[in-house]
Amino acid sequence: MTGPTVFVVDDDASIRDALSLLISLKGLQPCVYSSAEDFLAVYDAQWRGCLLTDLQMPHMSGLDLQTALRERGIQLPVVVLTAHGDVATTRAALKNGAVDFLEKPVDDDVLIDVLKNAIGIDAERHRANKQRIETMTRLGRLTPREHDVLDLLAEGLQHREIAERLGISPRTVEVYKARMMEKLQCRTLAEVVRIGSEARAHRPRAVE
Amino acid sequence: MHSRPLDIQGITGAIAYLGLYIVLDWFSYVQPVLKLGITPWNPQAGLTLAFLVMYGPRWIPVAVLAALCSELLVRHSSVASLLVLGVALWIGLGYGILSVFLRRWHLSFPIRTLGAAGRFAGAALGVTLLVAGGYVVLFMVAGELPPEHAVESLPRLWIGDLTGILTLTPLLISAHEWRVGLQIVKRHRAEVLAQIAALSATLWILYGALDDQLRFFYPLFVPVIWIALRWGASGAMIAALGIQIGLIIAAQYESGGAPLIDLQFLMLTLSLTALLLGAVVTERADALRTAAVREAEQRVLLAMAPDGVLAVDSSGHVRMANSAALRLFGDAGDSWQGAPIADWLPGLILARPEGRATLEGRRKAGGAFPADIAWSWLDTAPSGGFLVTVRDATDRRRAEAKLRDRDRALSRAMRFAVAGELASALTHELNQPITALVSYVRAAQILAEPFSVEEERLSATLGKAAQEAIRASQVLRRLRDFYRGGTVKREDVHISALCQAMAHSFQDRLRRAGATLAIHIDSSVPSLTADATQLEIVLHNLVSNAIDALAIGEPSNRRIELHARAEQNLLEFRIDDSGPGIAPDVAQKLFEPFVTSKADGMGLGLAISRSLVRARGGELFFQPSEHLHGACFVIRLPIDYAMDEIT
Repeated sequence: MTGPTVFVVDDDASIRDALSLLISLKGLQPCVYSSAEDFLAVYDAQWRGCLLTDLQMPHMSGLDLQTALRERGIQLPVVVLTAHGDVATTRAALKNGAVDFLEKPVDDDVLIDVLKNAIGIDAERHRANKQRIETMTRLGRLTPREHDVLDLLAEGLQHREIAERLGISPRTVEVYKARMMEKLQCRTLAEVVRIGSEARAHRPRAVE
Repeated sequence: MHSRPLDIQGITGAIAYLGLYIVLDWFSYVQPVLKLGITPWNPQAGLTLAFLVMYGPRWIPVAVLAALCSELLVRHSSVASLLVLGVALWIGLGYGILSVFLRRWHLSFPIRTLGAAGRFAGAALGVTLLVAGGYVVLFMVAGELPPEHAVESLPRLWIGDLTGILTLTPLLISAHEWRVGLQIVKRHRAEVLAQIAALSATLWILYGALDDQLRFFYPLFVPVIWIALRWGASGAMIAALGIQIGLIIAAQYESGGAPLIDLQFLMLTLSLTALLLGAVVTERADALRTAAVREAEQRVLLAMAPDGVLAVDSSGHVRMANSAALRLFGDAGDSWQGAPIADWLPGLILARPEGRATLEGRRKAGGAFPADIAWSWLDTAPSGGFLVTVRDATDRRRAEAKLRDRDRALSRAMRFAVAGELASALTHELNQPITALVSYVRAAQILAEPFSVEEERLSATLGKAAQEAIRASQVLRRLRDFYRGGTVKREDVHISALCQAMAHSFQDRLRRAGATLAIHIDSSVPSLTADATQLEIVLHNLVSNAIDALAIGEPSNRRIELHARAEQNLLEFRIDDSGPGIAPDVAQKLFEPFVTSKADGMGLGLAISRSLVRARGGELFFQPSEHLHGACFVIRLPIDYAMDEIT
């Protein structure tokens, strides 16, 4: 599947048909499933877009679907659409990680706004993910010394202090820094500091 | 029975008995007849019987020993020692048998009833006759008594023994009550002195008229009857004893005069009269005392009774009223005596022998109160009458009204919840097609765009159509919100009280269904902040369903159990029933609206219950009952819950 898609999960055939027609006419790509199980059975991690799901369905409910997605580490943004607009279910859905909550019947403008927003969130998440992987790859190219310099720079130390800390001359620090910046493709010190702190934040965890 | 511990008390009694026996024998050994040693009065026979009754027949050998000692020491019998032994054995055996009878009959001493006196006298009469007969026969067989004297000796001997027993035995056995007697004497000193004086005087007359003792014997009856009437059997016996002692003393010094046998008969008559008369008096006195105690108890009971009690004669006039009745009617003093009952309870018609009614009671000071009345015909009243109880029904009425109000509030809330659930279900079901409709129309609007140039009204019309569809759903939502919003109250709900009140409201239905509802509230259950009515609706629905389920199942063992317990922040109710349970395919759709197994059900009870529980942040679900093997519904509610989020 190419491009962002709106995955519609609803047990009501008329709603599936009407929503997919409207979504496609609004320039988005719909794909419908009559149950949560059907969707989960064919889901592919490459899929981009968002999920629009009903809450009340036989067997697996919308909340169950959200839970299943979270358990599988699927980050697809979920928009919940329900005919039961009560506070308790709304709260449960949002707590469960839904990015938005719509009440049936929903008018086209609101629906499309929410869906586009969700797709945007997905794209942003995807982009951020990609960038993080990119950064990690670049960080992987650094030598241990260059890494040390990066860490100390991120801590906000001056060249002289770094040199003292590492027991080398400030001149050598300059050299390491220049090489490191080239490998990380950074132009400004601010960028170096950002990546440095990011690298630190990620270090305790396994790198993807 | 093998090694009985030494009976110190018995031995002491036996020694005292032996000593007393010899003293009495010596004292009463006057005017002996022939070799038999017959004396007019044998108090030692009374002593022997008293001893055997008190200590039991196993002491018969001691009685035999006493008889033997007396023969040898007091009477210095000249007859063969074998005969003496035989006589002693016979006497001991005879009184032993009599004592067994008296013990078996559980006769109480002092004698308190005429029946007891009659039995005692009858048995003594028979046995003494037997003993005397044997005595005479033994002497005759031994050749010590010529047969011509036998007829003369028998009554003397018999009456002497009998008189001794009648006067002395009851007194000796009841000797432990001497304190009571002494108190009576102290309290009525003058009367007792007068009675003693009368006794002495009549005795003195008897002594004075030696020539014609018999004629002057009769005055003795006067003081004896007097004493018997005043002090009952015990007093009469003491008097008889006193007279006999006096007579013995007299006989000691004077012989001749009246024939001894006549005197004996008179003494027997006197003793019997004293015994029987005294028993009658004691019996009457006891009966009167019992009646007085009972009456006093009843008086206190009436006075303490929380209900008013009235005695009304057959013409409808109040004869008696207890203090509660006077309080109820606000009456004081005696003016109510004989007043018509209609003054207090207008409209009370005592037509049937028993009945109940609720009437208006009139207070004397004006005003009225609702009165629960019950009456019963009373036969014992002189011309018949009624006993009427009156209870102020104000509190009962108020409690009933409160209960009614509660029921009304509950059913109103229930109707509201039904409407809410209906609206909610309707909204849900209709919003589905409306959602499709709106989407289709919006899609049509987009599709119609190319034609809008020719017909600009097309797009606008489709837009209006979509707007109308949305408006329809808004109407539905408003309807739903009307029933849902703003009705949730925050109150401290006491779980135990709530459950008890609910169980109370099911009493009739449970009885009709032949089922029991047991409620177990764990002590850990705190009070809960919730809408009490809503919580009660939920519990009410679940218990009501359980009762219906039991009606389908086995008639025996129809049980429902409600358990409540708290764990951390969770309050859990479980409602188990012993009904047939719920099939898995039904269980899946159990909480959906309009799903029902009842012919007259709407299928909203469980849907409503679940909605209400969820609105309080909880959950309601079904599972098979583990220990009652029917259905089990579980409610779980968070104890701390920000209820503001709901409204």
